[in-house]
Amino acid sequence: MGIEEAWLIPTYGFIAFGVIALLGRYFPSQGKHLSIIAIVAAFVTFWFVLFDFVGQGVAEYHLPRVWFSAGDISVGSGMIVDSLTIVMLALVTFVAALVQIYSLGYMRHSHKGHVADDPRIGWYFAVHSLFTAAMLTLVLADNLLLLYLAWELVGLCSYLLIGFWWERKSAVNASKKAFIATRVGDVGLLIGILILVTETGTFDIISIIHAVEAGDVSEGKATLAAFMIFLGAMGKSAQFPLHVWLPDAMEGPTPVSALIHAATMVTAGVFLVARLLPIYEVAESAQMFVAVIGIITALMGATLALVVTDLKRVLAYSTMSHLGFMMLTLGASGFTAAGFHLLMHGLSKAMLFLSAGSIMHSMHDETDITKMGGLRHRMPITGAAFTIGALSLSGIAPLAAFWSKDEMLLAIQDGLNPAFLVLFLIAVVLSALYMARATYLVFFGPLKPENRDVHESPAVMSVPLAILAVLSVFAGFIALPLGGGFEGIGQFLFHGEHGHDFEFQPGWTIVSIVLATGGFALGIWLYKSSRSSVDSLRTQLGPVHKLLINRYYMDTLYQWFVDRVVLALGRAVALFDRTVVNDRGINGSGLTVVEAGKRLRGHVTGLFADYGLAMGAGVTAIAVYVWLRTA
Amino acid sequence: MTLELVDFQILAAALFCLGLYGVLARKSAVMVLMAVELMLNAVNINLVAFAAFRDVSSIVTGQVIVIFVITVAAAEVGLALAVIMRLFRRRGTVNVDEIDLMKG
Repeated sequence: MGIEEAWLIPTYGFIAFGVIALLGRYFPSQGKHLSIIAIVAAFVTFWFVLFDFVGQGVAEYHLPRVWFSAGDISVGSGMIVDSLTIVMLALVTFVAALVQIYSLGYMRHSHKGHVADDPRIGWYFAVHSLFTAAMLTLVLADNLLLLYLAWELVGLCSYLLIGFWWERKSAVNASKKAFIATRVGDVGLLIGILILVTETGTFDIISIIHAVEAGDVSEGKATLAAFMIFLGAMGKSAQFPLHVWLPDAMEGPTPVSALIHAATMVTAGVFLVARLLPIYEVAESAQMFVAVIGIITALMGATLALVVTDLKRVLAYSTMSHLGFMMLTLGASGFTAAGFHLLMHGLSKAMLFLSAGSIMHSMHDETDITKMGGLRHRMPITGAAFTIGALSLSGIAPLAAFWSKDEMLLAIQDGLNPAFLVLFLIAVVLSALYMARATYLVFFGPLKPENRDVHESPAVMSVPLAILAVLSVFAGFIALPLGGGFEGIGQFLFHGEHGHDFEFQPGWTIVSIVLATGGFALGIWLYKSSRSSVDSLRTQLGPVHKLLINRYYMDTLYQWFVDRVVLALGRAVALFDRTVVNDRGINGSGLTVVEAGKRLRGHVTGLFADYGLAMGAGVTAIAVYVWLRTA
Repeated sequence: MTLELVDFQILAAALFCLGLYGVLARKSAVMVLMAVELMLNAVNINLVAFAAFRDVSSIVTGQVIVIFVITVAAAEVGLALAVIMRLFRRRGTVNVDEIDLMKG
């Protein structure tokens, strides 16, 4: 088994979905274990593909396969396996496998004394499988149509899983919000794809990139397509201003949040931009747009994470902020750094969400961090895992995200205006600050009396956490050459001609360590000393706090837009439909016929003498006509 | 005075017009039927006249068609009288002005 079998990786998941959805009821526990088997099989297959890929030493492995062709256009269902795909496959299969194992424990609820699976456990795992399979297809696809198909499938699955507990109105609303917000971007993606396809005549990603690089596509068209495609990425990766769905998506089961935030959903946008980065490098204004949106999103997410009191939403805004970092880095052509951070962030963020789920599981779905505190005494594994994840994402050396953050810093310094660098460093400090706040409020300080009976989660949940925790500590070292032919992530994951070694600039590293550690320490100090210091800060920054609590009024703005513009337009169109299309068009044509019939019925007397007269007159008229013609 | 072809045609035309008038103006269905017979016979006169005034008098196509027409007309009268009888039984009248079921 080798690289040619890469198509198997998503196939397991599709099969598992079909079997569980159709035949699940014939299996014990509605077939939930089939999903685990499928994802573990995918993870194992991934290792064969990885070893074959490294063994063959090719930068880009293309397996074309024609799906169908019509005229000059042929649509493939082939695959690209390159280092970016490998990184994504690693992240998706690994995180999805751990999340599914964890779900075995999380989706068992205690209800009136006895513990049982969720009633729709089979459907949960079926959609989980489909979700993962769609994402794996997306990262393997060698053409834009297959990619778009998988992209929409990912959107559908996120909708199904966010609204999994559809008995709750808020979950239904959140799932619709996520679907609609990402759809807005998807329209852009489709337009972008169609522009590229009409310009180049092919769906094949490699051919399109070659055509754009060779200048076969005019710069204006390439820029327009890049903008449009980035719209899709903005929706999926929760970039400003299409980020509003992400915090609400916390309505889904927590393992789903972990999956969405680490592996399957939000990374799709970053992946897409990274995959098409050569187009963005031609379309410079679009790339600058990516960077600007990235930094806005990063700062917005980081500031919002400072004020929300819902643990999952803190993590959601943190994800938004880190996705902003990745986009910003791609805007600086920092392909390696962005891909590296995608991986590191995915590991740490999956762990943070699983920790949050572990807390919720033992605290009866409580997510308000002000009601927690001192939980490390009760949940040592969860506490340790969460703290490691928080330190990692704060960028504290030498945890995973520290390495990738440093790479991003250098890429931004190389590729962009210094203003971006300053804003990036501010966002880094804020990251450390909100992570410190969340960690301290949840796990440190005194244990509240009502939380005395909180307990650690079962092993099926804490073991995946522990695995991720170990990785979050050590995974960052893949930045360095580890021997055995592995020359560091910079040599493995690169874009363009040559890989590069891990860059180490002592000055910047010290700045980054000082800022991250300082931010984290400041956060701990603020919340440890006494609540009064936080409260006084809050009153001093009253208007800012109000702005943040109201999420920059973005949701209010959208609500206003929907109420006043979209619905008003809808009403106008409906009026046009009723009066013009319906009354004049549909009913009008019918009424015209009826009215004409009424007017014309007079000549039908039913008396055959009248018909005979008409016939005689007619024949005579014809005779006269013929006579006149011949005479 | 020798009879010319046109004399026969004038006769036929007059007869046809009488028939047509009868069809359009009479109220009784039987009278209408008789008027139709008049029109048929006007056509028959035309046919035999043309046949007789042809140069090649050995060909008798015209006369043969006339015999056909008479035969068919006899059958038609039989059928039509049966229809009129059924009509009378059902509606108690044969006045065509009162039979206007097809009125729009």
